[in-house]
Amino acid sequence: MVALVIALALFFDFTNGFHDTANAMATPIATGAIKPKTAVTLAAILNLVGAFLSTEVAKTVSGGIIREGSDGIQITPDIIFAGLMGAILWNMITWLKGLPSSSSHALFGGLIGAAIAGIGFNSINLEGLMQKVILPAIFAPLIAGIVAYICTRLAYALTSRHDPETGSKLTQKRGGFRSGQIFTSSLVALAHGTNDAQKTMGIITLVLIAAGTQEAGSGPQFWVIAACAFAIAIGTYAGGWRIIRTMGAGLTEVKPAQGFAAETSTASAILASSHLGFALSTTQVASGSVIGSGMGRKGTSVRWSMVGKIALGWLFTLPAAGIVGALTALLVKTGVVGVLIAAVAGTAAVLFMFFYSRKSAVGHHNAIEVEEAGQAVRFAKKKAMARARAHAKAKAQAEADADANNQKETQR
Amino acid sequence: MKWLELLTVAGATLTAAVTVVVLYSLGVRLTAIAADVQQTSPGIKRSLAYICFGLCSLAVLFGLYLIIPYFSG
Repeated sequence: MVALVIALALFFDFTNGFHDTANAMATPIATGAIKPKTAVTLAAILNLVGAFLSTEVAKTVSGGIIREGSDGIQITPDIIFAGLMGAILWNMITWLKGLPSSSSHALFGGLIGAAIAGIGFNSINLEGLMQKVILPAIFAPLIAGIVAYICTRLAYALTSRHDPETGSKLTQKRGGFRSGQIFTSSLVALAHGTNDAQKTMGIITLVLIAAGTQEAGSGPQFWVIAACAFAIAIGTYAGGWRIIRTMGAGLTEVKPAQGFAAETSTASAILASSHLGFALSTTQVASGSVIGSGMGRKGTSVRWSMVGKIALGWLFTLPAAGIVGALTALLVKTGVVGVLIAAVAGTAAVLFMFFYSRKSAVGHHNAIEVEEAGQAVRFAKKKAMARARAHAKAKAQAEADADANNQKETQR
Repeated sequence: MKWLELLTVAGATLTAAVTVVVLYSLGVRLTAIAADVQQTSPGIKRSLAYICFGLCSLAVLFGLYLIIPYFSG
């Protein structure tokens, strides 16, 4: 059972890398800053390195959410198996449907659902859950978005060139940001490794603790770190090829300076949170940044309906994965036969979805998460700019008010 | 409390991102100025630009240094 769960966890890690490469490498590929093949390889390597950098988030996952050890309720590998099943299935479904969702929340949702169904409601460390998962999930994208907005404004203000006498615009020459993006996107890949690979490490550690081979409250062992790092790197490398095809169609219209600002904010937000052990969703932070930087550039408007759709996807992820996790937990509870049924059904579902995705034309399936955030930001054409500007001004005022309100809430 | 940690994250994110973006933007700006035809002393502007890029990468490396537990002990 323990071996099975570890294999499943590594597979989850693989799907995670597969799912999330877009976060790091979508914009530089889109702006032509870096060749797709190089980008994917770079992202894979940096994910690998990032996974080794910090283990704070792994500790959060293994120690903060479900009470384990002697003082809490004994969690069994079966529960974790059920939780992982929920996470993987939900991940595959959203990937197939092109729904914006977070791998991390799928994982937490699955685990929580399985624990409630398998053990009972009191197995959940509600305080730890609130503090380490729910609050960061709300605030991290907000923080990243606000910072990206400020950074985009600064980047444009600092590089806008006007003729001192006539006041007419000079050539802006912002090409430098293109090469800068290579570095910032590398940082995002690194940050992804420090946060997302950790979650799997935390799960495997949780299994080892549950199985009694490791002391409760201790950090992940080295072979766990190495295995997870490689799983996510391989996933990143494998998933990259689909993104290249998507990016070939030019889904995101992000200017280099914007991309630079957005990626810097994403990387700093994730790295800072990882350092404090907040398990947040890289997807959500990256989306927040893209939207923030979209608002920061003149002549762009945000498609709030699309933003609403993304937000809805986020809301659904936790409970949906939780339900799948809970159902699997109930099945597993019935004994060995139940475990077998769950394993076979899960594998069949995953295989089916994989082949289904292969059969259908490559298109919107791959257009996951961050591209959707990119779509949410609409770029006005030069001619329509003047019209848009008046409109944007009114909107900007409304947004500023909203931002101010949000900040007030943050301070509270 | 966790609110404090959240504020720390917000502050760290803001400081880090703004530092990097400002330094890099200055570098880009100075490169652009140095490339102007009527510029009298492009050499100085260019080296200033490189200093900005250098400071920017230093800021990034310092940030990583703070995070990696191997260095901070």
